Amino acid sequence: MLRCIDICKDYHIPGKGPRRVLDRVNFQLERGQKLGVLGRNGAGKSTLIRILGGVDLATSGRVERTMSISWPLAFTGAFQGSLSGLDNLRFICRIYNLDYTNTRAFVDDFAELGKQLGEPVKTYSSGMRARLAFALSISINFDCYLIDEVVMVGDARFTQRCQDELFVQKKDRALVIVSHSMDFIRDVCDRGGVIHDRKLHLCGDVSEAINEYEALNR
Amino acid sequence: MSSGLSYRPTTLRHAFLLQMRVIWALMMREIHTRFGRENIGFLWVIGEPILFCSGVAIMWTAIRPPHEHGLPITAIVITGYVPLTMWRHSIQRSVKAYEANGSLLFHRQVTPLDIIVARWALEVLGTLMAGLLVGSGAILGGYMKPPLHWGILYAGLGFHAMFCLATALIFAALTEMSETVEKIVGIATYLSLPFSGAFSMVAWLPQKDRWAMLCAPSVENMEMIREGQFGSTAHPIYDINYDFWATLTLLLIGIYLTLRVRRHIVVQ
Repeated sequence: MLRCIDICKDYHIPGKGPRRVLDRVNFQLERGQKLGVLGRNGAGKSTLIRILGGVDLATSGRVERTMSISWPLAFTGAFQGSLSGLDNLRFICRIYNLDYTNTRAFVDDFAELGKQLGEPVKTYSSGMRARLAFALSISINFDCYLIDEVVMVGDARFTQRCQDELFVQKKDRALVIVSHSMDFIRDVCDRGGVIHDRKLHLCGDVSEAINEYEALNR
Repeated sequence: MSSGLSYRPTTLRHAFLLQMRVIWALMMREIHTRFGRENIGFLWVIGEPILFCSGVAIMWTAIRPPHEHGLPITAIVITGYVPLTMWRHSIQRSVKAYEANGSLLFHRQVTPLDIIVARWALEVLGTLMAGLLVGSGAILGGYMKPPLHWGILYAGLGFHAMFCLATALIFAALTEMSETVEKIVGIATYLSLPFSGAFSMVAWLPQKDRWAMLCAPSVENMEMIREGQFGSTAHPIYDINYDFWATLTLLLIGIYLTLRVRRHIVVQ
């Protein structure tokens, strides 16, 4: 179970004092549930994901985790740019206690980066970075995956493989996806929510969330 | 099962093993980032301090009189520069360490404490091995005698390593919290060199001024190290009891600041 209790997040704006981004966000996610969170740019979607993953700390409130939760899969973070993909892979194997040979074989096969895996990560395109991040996190058996847009940047083949992994091989896993792409969330999630005006509105089902989000954009 | 996955370490032993694994991974990562994989690579961990210590030792041996206050100059330089290098490198590597390593905090098992401990451990190991090599070289070359009392030498080095860790933790946290501190670290460490004890013995000072030097744990440590090297002929002055409590206090302040610093770190 993953539970947010009264999460508030303020960012400090120099010269203007604190600015509230999230205000008393509450929700609970059970094993196997897939929550899609929609919101416009800057609504606080990524901030929420980062707080769930423990990368940012909430100003007040707390996050309770009784299942293992991935790091936020996003365009940035989690990798050291000056190191090669392989050195990053080695580091992650060490801290998550994974077998290097097996993990490397899996990542090679899944991310299809070929020789680029030996090059520094800062030379990767965002699509390649997403493939590496996704392959690595999939090779670790988390109970819950936090996904910040990242799945949507790959080409069709990669998107297909992600869907296979997340919804066939690991369909019993929980998922939090934030996005402004409604199609993906409609295909994948069984619960939906919208972040607007610092609040998270949870909706009964995904189509309701999509309607609410579309109403915002009108 | 000791996997890095579980959301909460089940036992103290499990938590300890997890943190050890993280620190080890951070050390390996640090070596690869700093020294790359080309040519002698990780040997630079020892190579850097060796060049520094042996360079200074050779220069001082060449230009200074062979004895200072009755003590051989080469041994003075080596017993002073090895711990000094340990401290200066520990500080240098801890300044803005969190900014440089921010992306690692994406992984929840990596904590600010691990980042500094890993960097510190690498510097301590590097300088100790460099000291061993430079010292052995000087002994074999006949410029220096082997240490007389190994016990107090180890004690001095042990205390000094802890002092380095404490100051590294404090500076890492303070430079992250305040830009002013970051700007003055360089000059502050330079101005504190006389209080490192690396270049002098407390006994060389007039009686009434000695207390000022003895406030600094670093001076106490160097006095112990030099008792180990020269025995009582060096007239070492130190107070292990004071050194212990002073170092422990600094260490606790360092750990307290490190636990508080997480909110100040902006993870990219």
